Parts: sequence; structure tokens; C-alpha cells
Amino acid sequence: MAGLELVSDAGFRADGRRPDELRKVRARLGVLARADGSAYLEQGNTKVLAAVYGPHEVRGSRSKAPPDRALLCCRCSSAPFAGGGERRRRPPQGGGDRRSGERALLLRGVLEGAVLGQLYPRSQIDVHVQVLQADGGELGASVSAAGLALQDAGVALRGPVVAGSAGLAEPPAGPPVALSDLSAAEEAAGGPRLVVATVAGSGQLALCQLSARLHQERLRPVLDAAQAACRGLHAVLDGVVRASDPLGDTRTLPWPQ
Amino acid sequence: MAPPARYCVPGERLCSTEEATAGSGTYTRHGFIFSSLAGCLERKNEDNELPVVSVVRDSESQLLPNVGAVVTCKVCSINSRFAKVHILYVGSTPLKSTFRGTIRREDIRATEKDKVEVYKSFRPSDIVLAKVISLGDAQSNYLLSTAENELGVVVARSEAGVQMVPISWCEMQCPRTHTKEFRKVARVQPQFLQT
Repeated sequence: MAGLELVSDAGFRADGRRPDELRKVRARLGVLARADGSAYLEQGNTKVLAAVYGPHEVRGSRSKAPPDRALLCCRCSSAPFAGGGERRRRPPQGGGDRRSGERALLLRGVLEGAVLGQLYPRSQIDVHVQVLQADGGELGASVSAAGLALQDAGVALRGPVVAGSAGLAEPPAGPPVALSDLSAAEEAAGGPRLVVATVAGSGQLALCQLSARLHQERLRPVLDAAQAACRGLHAVLDGVVRASDPLGDTRTLPWPQ
Repeated sequence: MAPPARYCVPGERLCSTEEATAGSGTYTRHGFIFSSLAGCLERKNEDNELPVVSVVRDSESQLLPNVGAVVTCKVCSINSRFAKVHILYVGSTPLKSTFRGTIRREDIRATEKDKVEVYKSFRPSDIVLAKVISLGDAQSNYLLSTAENELGVVVARSEAGVQMVPISWCEMQCPRTHTKEFRKVARVQPQFLQT
């Protein structure tokens, strides 16, 4: 079992965090001047950049656009220098591969639940997310960054979108411990990984993705840990969005240290 | 100095629907008004009704043409059945990216629709005031209409390249060569006439 490396006897994880502690979060809105909305998010060593264009006219095939709501086009890609957590034989292919396509589909599902699409009929909103450095939790960081970029673009949302991940460590001596916000080394250890996304801080989940196997009795603590990760991230990102108010007291935004 | 306005984020509960009505940038759910944009809260008091609560951002997000809006567009190509236009302004707000629209032959005029000739109503690069009648379906773009007196061509250039002067509802004259050309001219609103 991988419990030995994940949580030490003293209760610390490999990178020195407690099981319920999140990695350091830094975020900034409006980093791209040409995009309608953009956001940069760092969670630990995972760095993600999101850009939103729209709502604009539907380009390409008009028949794909639903008549009463906006068409959301999401595209996820990984920079060639992003690394990738585990060793890859091929470098990231920049958005055309299956992993990015799956991530884009999941992102679209989350955002369709969050965006008030009825206000923009017959229009298209493009969301582009690029992972600049991958160190675990790229799907969650992509979802959170896309939510920030949509807020920066002024697209009407039901609420802020945040995502978090959680896993399980089973040390040989002691009860299983749920870990919040997995890093790449913890994901590579092979245990279960649950990614959830919530909208508006309500208890409802917009995304729930589990990889590897998880026993039914262990689901509750892992789900609670993931939702707690979402709440913690939401608290930080809420402060970032409010601090980016152009009429607020902080006229010059210092880069968070 | 005015007190600092409250900044709200999407999903923030503002008040209940009994205290105010929802304006732009908000949505209602379960009897409460929530914010849908990250911006400043504005409360406008109306005399006999509930105050209107809205959330405003300093940089307006893209405005979309909706049905019944008067838009300013530029003709890009004409056909015997319709004219294709690029929508530039919605009301008086410029659009960041142009939308495409179509003015069908039967929507150019209100009277004598079957005798309309598109070539005698619009020419490419004319600036036209039109009204949106439909958002379009899967095959077509925005459908526009100029079937009112105040809608139609406002700015047009003659074959000589000079801006023409309107002389009637169906003709414009070039000031340099004094040739008359047919257009469906918009009637100028009295408040825009210089005396």
C-alpha cells in the first residue's frame, strides 16, 4: 500500500502539509489585456492560465448553437514545458490529445451549470485554459481558473466556480486518512482521487470525478475532504475577486508574495 | 466623497424579493435576489414601486442585439433577395466584435413590398439604421427590418465617392456631380437636424 509515503507517523504528508491543509494559492484577474476576461491561478506548483472571449457571434456552424442559450466552447491544453507529474513518454500535445479533450468536456459540463446562458441567446463564449506547470490537481485548477476568468469577463454566473481534489491514505498503523488537494507525487502513488467542483458555495456539486477504486465506506470522508478543499479555495479566491475591484482602495494591485 | 459602493461577487445574496426588484446583473432564486456579476451594487429608488437593485461593472460586457433593438449596421453585400450587413452598434453602444445580419427584400419597406428592388434601396458600404426582428434560426443570422420611416440609409457615398445628401425618402443626391441615386432613406429625427 502507498500509505507509508503519503502520511508519516507524525501525521505530516510528503511536502510537510497536514492531511486537511491546502497548498498555497495565488491568483490574479485580468492578466491578458486582449481577452475579455482572464485569470492566472497557482496552487502550489501547479500554474494555470485561463482566458475567456465573448459573448460574441457564433462562429463556424450555427446549427450547433442552442437557440435559447449561449454556446460554450471550452478548450484545455498543456504547454509543452508543463512537465506532467508522472513521467511521460510523449510531451504534452497542446490540446489535441484525449486527456485534454476529456478535460474540456468536463469543464464544459461544469460551466454550463454555472453560466446563466439564457441571457445570451445565439452567442458563443470561448473559454481557453492552458496548464503552464503541472504538479497535481490540473483539472481542479483549470475549473477554478475558468470560473475566475468568467467573473473577470463580466459573464453572468450563478456563483463562483471552485474545484478541489481529495484522496485517501491508508497507513498500516491507524485509520485511513483523507487528504485534501493532492500534489503530483500523491496522485502518482496510485490511490483514489476524487475531484469535485461546486458553484456558489452551495452544497451542490457541479462535477464529481473519481479515478481508481474507493470503498463505499470510505467515500464519505473523502467527499467531505474534497468539499472542504473547495470551501477553502473559495475563501481565498473570493478575496482576490473583491480586491480586484477597480474602485476599491487598493488602486495598485501588489503581486501576492 | 461618496461612500464606497459595496462590491459584490457572483452568487452573493443581496436581499429578498420583497424588499426590491431584480435589475440587470442579478437573478432571483427561492425568493431572494442574488448577484450574477462581480461589480458594484446599485440601488435605484422608484417612486411608487420597490427599489431596483442591480450590479454594474465599469467595463460593460458585450451587449447582444435583442429583438426590437434599433441597430446601426453597414451593408457588405447585396443580392436580388436580401442584403447582408455587419451590425456595428446596438443603440448607441459600439460592439467589440461585429455580428452579421440580413435584411430581406420584403422587410425593406412597409408598403409595396413586392415592387422593392434591393439595388435601389441599399448599396454596399451604406450605413443603415435597422431594427432587429428575429435572432435567427439554425440557418440564418440576425434578421433586420427597415420597414419604418425612421429606419433606412443614413450615410451613403455616391459613385464619385462623395457623401450624398438625402432629398426624399427614396432618393439621395451627390453634391459634386448632382446625380440622384435611389436609396431607402431614413427620415431624420427632428432633434438631430441642425438649424
